[in-house]
Amino acid sequence: MEVVVLERRHEEGGGLCTEELTLPGFLHNVHANYHTFVDLAPPQADLDLADHGLEYVRPEVQMASIFDDGTALTVHTDLDKTCASIARFSEQDAETFRRLYTEAHGYVNLLLGTLMYQPPMSMKELTRALSVFGVEERSEFLSVKLRRETIDTFLDLHFTHPKVKAHLAFHGAVCGYANDVPGLAMSFPLLVGKIDNWRLCVGGSHRLAHVLWRDLAQHGGVLISDAEVARIAVDGGRAVGVVLADGTEISARKLVVSTIDIEQTFLRLLPDGSVPSELTAAVESDLLHQPWSLFSVHLAMSEPPRYAAAAFDPDVDRAWVVNLGYASTEELDTDWRAVRSGRLPEVCRPNAAVNTLFDPSDAPEGGYTGLLRQIAPYAVGDGGPAAWDEMGHWYGRRCIEAWRRFAPNMGDGAILDWTPYTPADIARKLPNMVRGDWMMGEVSLANMLDRRPLPALAQYRTPVEGLYLAGSTQHPHGFITFAPAYNALQVIADDLGLEAWWRDV
Amino acid sequence: MPDIYSTEWYDAVRAAINAGVTRLRTIPEGRFVVAVEIAADGRSPYVDGEGERRFLMEIEDGSCLWYRELDPGEDEKAHVAGRVDYRFRGPATVFDEIAAGLIDPIDAALRGAITVRGDMRLLLRHAEHVKSLLEAYTNAVSTTWPLGRPPYAAATSGSEGAVARA
Repeated sequence: MEVVVLERRHEEGGGLCTEELTLPGFLHNVHANYHTFVDLAPPQADLDLADHGLEYVRPEVQMASIFDDGTALTVHTDLDKTCASIARFSEQDAETFRRLYTEAHGYVNLLLGTLMYQPPMSMKELTRALSVFGVEERSEFLSVKLRRETIDTFLDLHFTHPKVKAHLAFHGAVCGYANDVPGLAMSFPLLVGKIDNWRLCVGGSHRLAHVLWRDLAQHGGVLISDAEVARIAVDGGRAVGVVLADGTEISARKLVVSTIDIEQTFLRLLPDGSVPSELTAAVESDLLHQPWSLFSVHLAMSEPPRYAAAAFDPDVDRAWVVNLGYASTEELDTDWRAVRSGRLPEVCRPNAAVNTLFDPSDAPEGGYTGLLRQIAPYAVGDGGPAAWDEMGHWYGRRCIEAWRRFAPNMGDGAILDWTPYTPADIARKLPNMVRGDWMMGEVSLANMLDRRPLPALAQYRTPVEGLYLAGSTQHPHGFITFAPAYNALQVIADDLGLEAWWRDV
Repeated sequence: MPDIYSTEWYDAVRAAINAGVTRLRTIPEGRFVVAVEIAADGRSPYVDGEGERRFLMEIEDGSCLWYRELDPGEDEKAHVAGRVDYRFRGPATVFDEIAAGLIDPIDAALRGAITVRGDMRLLLRHAEHVKSLLEAYTNAVSTTWPLGRPPYAAATSGSEGAVARA
């Protein structure tokens, strides 16, 4: 089979883009910064991506939460060190965490293989199987009841200290799982099972997209950049090719695969009448997007942050993903409510990462790249998304000031340059992230498994013969999992009778 | 009673699997090849050195059509027309303890002691059948242990056989 990949932008990768947003030589991961699934994803080994130059760093101090009172909690690749850090707040919680992590770490690969790297089952099928296998009786933490509960409920049931709960909820939030959404407790043990698996792509996140292109090219595939698709050609109910914005027609002998958003695919690219009107109506009204987005500040710095909380725990200065201030789940809940109603969080509590601490190649010698991220609404009050164009720099300064509260050296002398990257910028740069939805679909029970993005589209097929969906709109979700395309490929191979060499077990 | 991993033992397990199928409410359709890899771990006396014990079985409509233990270095493809659908792999002591009824195979998989590869959706959709297969392996055959019965003593740097027989 011959494959051509058509990319609207000047380079492949979408959210896997690394750019000099500030000063020359400072490489900023504009969107995707944290890769937590790469080592679990079958395609990494199937495609021998390491042979193409893909390299990851797994920082020894993975995460930290720094609190207003100068205390801090750190998560390490060494479980004993993590438990020791938690024990400074609650010995009981440290023991609970050890049991939860140990249990979840045991089944994380098995369950991720089941839940993520297969086309989705229904929740009913899944819970029935777990019941037959007696998983609930064998587990302290997994329960069928979790499918109705929030992460907050799970944390209240098992943990006692507000700061410990805050850190675990923060971890979920960075993964796209809001702690107050019913049903997400089901996935929470799995999140904890990989809480120490935060990985940084050496050379910048775009390197991953680049090696995927190398693999494609080596196997005869072609990538054409600056090639915006204007229309999917349909003949006799079958997708037969695409027409580019410049009028170029490209025929498809076997199939067309869309990896962009559902709205563009069905409302802009397909000719009218290609799909049943009920599906068009569902696309217009029933799609669920994350009701929150991310505001980022990308910084070029002359020194790394030196946190005041290092006096309490010196490891915070070596931590990668740092929560600046959330000290309870209630504080997070308050901000979710604000953001969902179009308001900025009253207190700015961004998270921070300095990639150069672990990959010096992303900045000139002596320099450091920094990233601040704050949950934020896509549309701000009555101003809508356009309000960000007026307030981006103002809010960026607030985020930097929030960082300085915890790292006093992050003043003008240390910050050489910075630029805001707003939810509106996300939607403009990558239109498939509709309304700044970086997960390309809400992470919720109603938009999970065989309901994502809509029940009629959940199995990667469409009503148009030969047209498939393989982007992060599909199960499981975004976040550099490889899973939507991997699963779509399994469906395509079944439909076309292709030999699925990658399925060799 | 057959010796563990003897031809008679495999035959007894196979008979137990097939007897279990008759008790299922729904019998899964289709044909699957399953590979089991039992890796030496320095404790079990039934897998030597750094080697492994490998066997294949083919399941059709829930019943075990055949099984075959492979010789060291033997290519499994010689016995499989298509591809292997499922592969179970783990240390010998874990498999021995499962066969001896000391540990539960589902617990072992949940702990990550045994890895499972293959189409997990089918495995979950046919959960009752999978459970029946595992019960046949675990409980249905009275087994003798000529080189010693698990649980084994903790591993030392010396010969695993000597440790297990001690």
